[in-house]
Amino acid sequence: MGCGSSFPDRGSRHMGRPHPEDGGGHDARNIRVKLVLLGDSGVGKSCIVLRFVRGQFDATSKVTVGASFLSQTIALQDSTTVKFEIWDTAGQERYAALAPLYYRGAAVAVIVYDITSPESFSKAQYWVKELQKHGSPDIVMALVGNKADLQEKREVAVQDGTEYAEKNGMFFIETSAKTADNINELFEEIAKRLPRPSDIVDYATSKLPPDVLAA
Amino acid sequence: MSETSSSAHDPEPPIRLNLPPLSPSLFDAEPSELQQPNGSAVRHSSDPSSPTSSGYAGERGSSTATTVSQVEDILHNEIQEITIHDPQPLSHSSWLPGKRHSDEDDASISWRRRKKHFFVLSHSGKPIYSRYGDEHKLAGFSATLQAIISFVENGGDNVKLVRAGKHQVVFLVKGPIYLVCISCTEEPYESLRGQLELIHGQIIVILTKSVNRCFEKNPKFDMTPLLGGTELLFSSLVHSFSWNPATFLHAYTCLPLAYATRQAAGAILQDSADSGVLFAILMCRHKVISLVGAQKASLHPDDMLLLANFVMSSETSEAFSPVCLPRYNALAFLYAYIHFFDDDTYLMLLTTSSDAFYHLKDCRISIENVLLKSNVLSEAQRSLIDGGMRVEDLPPLPHSGSSHLGQHRLPSDSPERLREPDCGIGGAAGLWHFIYRSIYLDQYISSEFSSPINTPKQQKRLYRAYQKLFASMHDKGLGPHKTQFRKDENYVLLCWVTPDFELYAAFDPLADKALAIKTCNRVCQWVKDVENEIFLLGASPFSW
Repeated sequence: MGCGSSFPDRGSRHMGRPHPEDGGGHDARNIRVKLVLLGDSGVGKSCIVLRFVRGQFDATSKVTVGASFLSQTIALQDSTTVKFEIWDTAGQERYAALAPLYYRGAAVAVIVYDITSPESFSKAQYWVKELQKHGSPDIVMALVGNKADLQEKREVAVQDGTEYAEKNGMFFIETSAKTADNINELFEEIAKRLPRPSDIVDYATSKLPPDVLAA
Repeated sequence: MSETSSSAHDPEPPIRLNLPPLSPSLFDAEPSELQQPNGSAVRHSSDPSSPTSSGYAGERGSSTATTVSQVEDILHNEIQEITIHDPQPLSHSSWLPGKRHSDEDDASISWRRRKKHFFVLSHSGKPIYSRYGDEHKLAGFSATLQAIISFVENGGDNVKLVRAGKHQVVFLVKGPIYLVCISCTEEPYESLRGQLELIHGQIIVILTKSVNRCFEKNPKFDMTPLLGGTELLFSSLVHSFSWNPATFLHAYTCLPLAYATRQAAGAILQDSADSGVLFAILMCRHKVISLVGAQKASLHPDDMLLLANFVMSSETSEAFSPVCLPRYNALAFLYAYIHFFDDDTYLMLLTTSSDAFYHLKDCRISIENVLLKSNVLSEAQRSLIDGGMRVEDLPPLPHSGSSHLGQHRLPSDSPERLREPDCGIGGAAGLWHFIYRSIYLDQYISSEFSSPINTPKQQKRLYRAYQKLFASMHDKGLGPHKTQFRKDENYVLLCWVTPDFELYAAFDPLADKALAIKTCNRVCQWVKDVENEIFLLGASPFSW
C-alpha cells in the first residue's frame, strides 16, 4: 500500500512521452491515467497534490496559475502500478472556457471543497454537473471534503457530502492535506475504481482539444 | 544641499565604442533647479477631446452625494492625519509573499499610516484590488476615488495627480479600470504612474484586455472573482518596485555567463522556435540566460518582467497556462509551458496553440538534455553564487579583460578599510554602485551591492534615488538632459545619457567630482570589455 515509487518532480527526465519502460497505458500491470483536480480557489487542491506527490505540506504555499502538471505512481496490492498524471487546475472562474482543456480526456476527476466553506461545496456541485455534461462518460469522480483537521470550524456536514456523492455515483472522502489524513487512501481508492486494463483507453496520451479560449 | 546641473547641448554626440570621455566641463553650465514646486497642485490634462466616456455619470455607484470639493476635503483631511512613520519598517530579507494586513480598512489607523497604497477599482466604483486591507471593506473608499475621477471626467478633463502635503495621489484610467496610488514616498509622478501601468499590465497578463467587454455588458460587473487567488502576483510586483530596477528602466538584465555558454543555450532554444514556438525564454530568477523568438515576433522588456513575476509567484515545477503579453497582443491569450529545472532556473515556451502541451513537453526534454550536456544549468548556479560586477573590481583604465568579468579580487572582507575622501568604502573614487543601460539591447547591468549599501533599506533608498534621476533625465518638459551631477547628504549621483547607453552611478557623498567623472569613464570601458558575458548579444528582442 501507499506510494510505491516517487517520481522526482524537478529535474526529472523520466516524465517524457512515449516512455519505453512503462509501455504506455495499455499494459495490464502498469496503468497510466490523467487525473484532474477541480474546485474553488483556496480549498487546498495544490496542498492535496503536494502532500500526495512530495509528502509535503506548506501552509504558505504559492498560488497555482493556469494548471500545474505533476505525476505520481502508486503500487496496488495486486502488484499493478498506477501512474497518475495530475492536472492541478486554478482560476476556473477566469478560464471557464478553458477548463475543458484540462478535464477533457481525464479518466479521473477529483472535485475538492473546503468543509469550512459552504460556498466551496456549492461550487463542487457545479463542477460535478459540468463533468456529467461534458466529461468522458466513464470518468471516475471523487468528491473530497478537505481541511478535515478544522473540525471546530466545520460548516459542511459529513452527511451532506456523503449524500450528494451517493446520489451522483461518486466516491466520497474527507481529507486533511495538513495532517496527511486520508490523502493516500484517496488515491488508492481511485486506483481501485479505475476500469481494468482490458477496456482502458490511453487517456494520458490523448491530445488536448483544439478549442481556444474565448475570454 | 542639492546641486544640479545639466547640459542639453553636447557639441559632439557620443558614439558607441568611441566614447568621448565624460569631461568635467560638461558640468559647468548654469545650475538649474529640477525640483518641482511643492505644495498643493493638481495636474490636469487640458486636451478637451480626452474624456474616454461620457456614459459614466449614470453609472456612478458612489453613494457619496458630496460635491468634489467636499470629497477633496475629506481626502485631504484623511491624508493630513497620516504620519509618515511606518510602524513596521519594511525589510526585504524578511519579505514574505502574500497579502498582509488584510484585516485593515480605511478606518484603521495602521491602514492610514501605510506609506504607499495601490488601489484598482472599476469605473462604477467597485473595488478590484487594494495593496492593504480587505477590498470589500474598502467599497466606500473606492466610491470616493471613483467620484473624484468621474467628476473631473464629466468636466471634459482627466485628473492625473493631486498633491496634498507630503502625499501624492496618482490616477490612471485604463478604460473601465481605474488605478490609484496614494504615496508619501516622494517618488516622482512619472515613476508612480509607471508602477500603475505595470499593475494594469499584470491584470492584462492574467485576463487579457477583453475583460473590458465584461464591463460593456454589465457596468457594475464585479471583477474580484476573476482575479481570485492572484493577490500574490500583485504583492510581489509591488515589492519589486523597491528592488528591481527593471520596473523603471524598461529593460531586462541577464545572468552573467561565459559567451560560449549563453550561445549554447541560445542555439537549442532556436531549435524549438523553429518548431512552432513563438518565444522560448530561459531565465534564472529575474535574469535572462537566453531568449529566442520566432521570426518577426518581439518581446517587450515590460512583458518579460510581468511574465517572470507571474511564473515566480506560482507554485509549480511544470505547468501549462494561458497568459497574455500586454505589449505583444493585449487582446489574446498565448499558452505558456513552464518548467523549473531547479529552484531558480526555468524555461518558458510560449505558443498560440492551446493543445501544444505534449509537444512543448517534448521540446523541453530535448532542451534539457542539451542544457545538461553543455553545463548551462550548473554554470547558471555558479553565476548565481559568484554574482555579477562588483565596484571593488573596477579595473584601471587601460584594461584588456580576460578573467571572469575582469575580476581582480581585492580582499573586500577586511571591514576596517580606511575611509578617505578619494577612496571611501566601495570602489575607486568612492564609487558605491552603478547601473548601465544599453539602449540598443534593451538590457541593463547593475553592479552588486557592496558596503556601505548593504541593507535592504539602503538599497531601496538608492533605487528610489536612481528612479528620481531617471525621471528627471527623461522629463519631457525640462529635458532631455545628457549629464547630471547631484549631491545630497546620502550620495553623489552621476548620470550620463548618450544615444547608446545610460549610466547611473552612486558615489560617497564626499566624492570628488573630477575623480567621479573619471571613474564613470572607467565603468563604461569595463562594461564594454565584458559585454559578451553580461549581455545577450545579437538577439535584441526588437531586432531579430
